[in-house]
This record gives sequence, structure tokens and C-alpha cells, in this order.
Amino acid sequence: MSMSMTRDNLWEVTSRTIVYAAIGAALYAVLVQFSFLLPGTANVSLRPGFAIVTFFGVAFGPIVGLFTGLVGNAIGDQISGWGLLTSWNWSVANGLVGLLAGLLPVYLLSGISNKIVMAAAAAAIAVIVGFLFVFTDLIIGTADTFDTALSANYLPVVISNLISAVILTPILVLVWEPIKEQMGR
Amino acid sequence: MNITPRYLGRGSWLSGRDPRVLILSLAIYVFAVIQVWDIRILAVMWLIAFTYYRTAGIPFRAVRLNWGYVLFFVTFVVLANTIITGGELRGARLEELHIYGRVPLLNTPISAESVTYAIAQLLRFTSMAALGFPLAFAIAPGDIGPAFARLGIPDKFAYAVEMTFRFIPSLAADVRTTIDAQRIRGYDWERAGRGPVGKLTRTVPIMVPVTINAIVGAEDTIDAMDLRGFGTGRRSWLRQLAMGRVDRLVIGAFLVLFAVITVLSFSGLTRLWTPPFLISLAGG
Repeated sequence: MSMSMTRDNLWEVTSRTIVYAAIGAALYAVLVQFSFLLPGTANVSLRPGFAIVTFFGVAFGPIVGLFTGLVGNAIGDQISGWGLLTSWNWSVANGLVGLLAGLLPVYLLSGISNKIVMAAAAAAIAVIVGFLFVFTDLIIGTADTFDTALSANYLPVVISNLISAVILTPILVLVWEPIKEQMGR
Repeated sequence: MNITPRYLGRGSWLSGRDPRVLILSLAIYVFAVIQVWDIRILAVMWLIAFTYYRTAGIPFRAVRLNWGYVLFFVTFVVLANTIITGGELRGARLEELHIYGRVPLLNTPISAESVTYAIAQLLRFTSMAALGFPLAFAIAPGDIGPAFARLGIPDKFAYAVEMTFRFIPSLAADVRTTIDAQRIRGYDWERAGRGPVGKLTRTVPIMVPVTINAIVGAEDTIDAMDLRGFGTGRRSWLRQLAMGRVDRLVIGAFLVLFAVITVLSFSGLTRLWTPPFLISLAGG
């Protein structure tokens, strides 16, 4: 069960897919500008806006999730001046998280009937697996050793985004579900 | 919070180029620079990048905060890499390093090699940012969709990219309005919550209404697109892009740079090179 997504319409690209993807990416680029440092850490900042990636994946499917993470992160970097492609592998990692958040409810987690638990589980697995892509920093040279990639890149981003995604995705799903029913979607 | 994309390079030489030039130049440069650790080559590439940046005519006062963010982030990456990797920089063995001293508590060696490595990282990232800035500030907002479409991205996704840029200003305004509306109800964004969960849940009164309003409001856009038969045939773009001779020359120059760097890299000539004067400072 993944909201209104089924295995048959998972890869459909309609005007609805395009608009939701664009809104997700724009929201992510805007809301990701809000962040605060996790107490007791030096470099782990919480980014509540990250939950937009997992929520759009869970609610509207893998294509919307992929676009939200990939384009939203790239444009967020673009707006800050960092550049659209400077950290292209991080944008891909964000996109993978959105993609997985869209796929997991339909495949791996389809047995979970509680939407809140399912949303939290999908978000958590998607973050842990999707961000493995940041280990490409070892090839690109942004991280010199596995230890650096793990302790300076992967773990901080996973801890921070896991907290945001696991708490905020179910809240957004909880609010969206009745509205979706009301709208007949 | 000003996060609206700004067309700061309007009228500059670079803004007059086909927007695909700015996208392709950055992509080619990124794949070239990531092969290089030799700071002599990086210095040349850095000069090329900043010469290119100058042609975008972006006023510094308008982007100094962005540059501040870039420098802060680059410094963090450089320090994290240097401190954590310590003696294992680019495969160098600890006994080969020319050590100046050690970081207190962490005992990480600060050596001629680690300083060179830090300089190399700094040159790489600042030059990549220099090529990224024109993409952010010297492309007319209306050119983004057609540029991606002409680069071979399916029309629907190119349209989605353009739409994303168009949604950003209105969504940023929605965020500001929502914060103000919640403040009137007694909500204080600045007040710290208790622990990470408390801090996150304090963002709910902003996140939820902004997100749900955006989704509900999207129905009008979806209806408008459906009524105009979006996606039923090949899309045409109001803005027609045509690459001129100068545009081809710029892309060609970046391709030559990429080819030269790739050859040097395969020949083993782009590895970390430590300047002799840095080695002599260590008494080596």
C-alpha cells in the first residue's frame, strides 16, 4: 500500500507527476535553507526540509521522489552559489532517497497496513540506503579515505536526515491523507 | 531570506552565450578538475575558472554572502579531510611526510603534504564554484527549460525543471507569509525546542501548511496543463536556442582542457606535488 500508488501506475509520467515533482523540488530547495546544529555535535545540522524528499516519494511515487531529491538539492546548491553540479553525487544521493521512498511502500513494505509506520520505515530505509551513494566522494576525491567518507560525510548526513525524515514524513502523511481523500485523489 | 534566483549577470558577455554553454562548460570542467591534485595544474585551472567567472559580470556585493557560504563549506571539507585522513593523504605513507607538528589531542600530523593537499582542495572547490556561479546568476530564468530540453533531457522533465525555478519565488513568499501568520498566533521560530525532536516539531507549524497548501494549490496548474493538452505531443518552446561560433569555441576549449587533463592524469602527471619550499620549512 502506498497511498494511491500501485505497481501499474508507478512509472506513469502525467501532468500531475510533473507538477508535483516541480513543487517538491522547489519546496525542498526553499525549506532546506532552514537548518540548525544538532546539540552535542560539531558538524551535524538538522534540516527539516529534507523530509520533503521522503514525503513526496512516499505520497506521489518514485519519479516524483527522485526528481524532488535530485533537482531540489541541485537547485538548493545553485541558489546558495555552491553550483548545480559541484556536488552532483550528493544530488544523485538525494534523488535515490526519494526514489527508494517511492518504491519501498509498493514493494518491500507493502505488508504494513499502518500508513504512519509504513511512511517512517520507508523514509528510514531510503535514507540509510540512498545516501550510500555519497561514498562516490572516494572516487571524486572529496573524501580521501573510507574513514573520512564515513565519519565526515555519510554518518553526519544519515543521522541528521534520518531524524528529520522519520519524524516529519509520518506527520506530513498524516495531514495529507484526509485531504487527499477529500480531494478525491 | 532571499532565495529567489537572481539574474545578476544580465547583459554580460557570458549571459549572451547560449545557456547550454554554461551548463556544458561546468560539467566538463568538473570532470576535468576532479582528476587533478597537482597544485601547479590546479592553479592554471583556477585562473581559467576565474577568468570565465569574470565574463559573467556578477557584482561581488550581490554574491558576497554566497561566496562566504562557499568558503565556509570548503574550509570545513578541507579541515575534515586533512584532520581525519592525517598521514594517509593521497596514499602517502606516514614515514614519507615532512611533518611540521601535530594537532593537539588528535595527534594528526600537519605536514608539507597535508598543507599542499589542503591548498589543492581549496583550488578545486573554489574553481568549481566559480563556474557554478554563472549558471546560478547569468542564465535568464526563461532559458533554463529550453536549455535542458535541447541538451537531450525529455521535454516533460525539462519543463519540470523550468517549473521548479518558477515555483521557488512564490513558495519562498508562502514560507514568509506562513511564518508571519504563525507569529501572530504566538509561534516563535527563533525559540529553541527541547532536544532534536523538540526542535524538529517546532518546524511543523511552518512545514505542514506550506507543503499542503503548495500541493492543493497545484491543482490549478495541473488543470491548466491538462486543458492545454500537456504531454500529448512533442513540446515546442517559445525561446529558440541557436549555438553560435563563439559558443562552440567555448565548449571546444573546455573539451580540449578535459582531454589534456585526462591524458596527463593517465600519464600520472596530476598527482599531489609538494612545493620544495614547503618541504624545506619542515627541515627536510
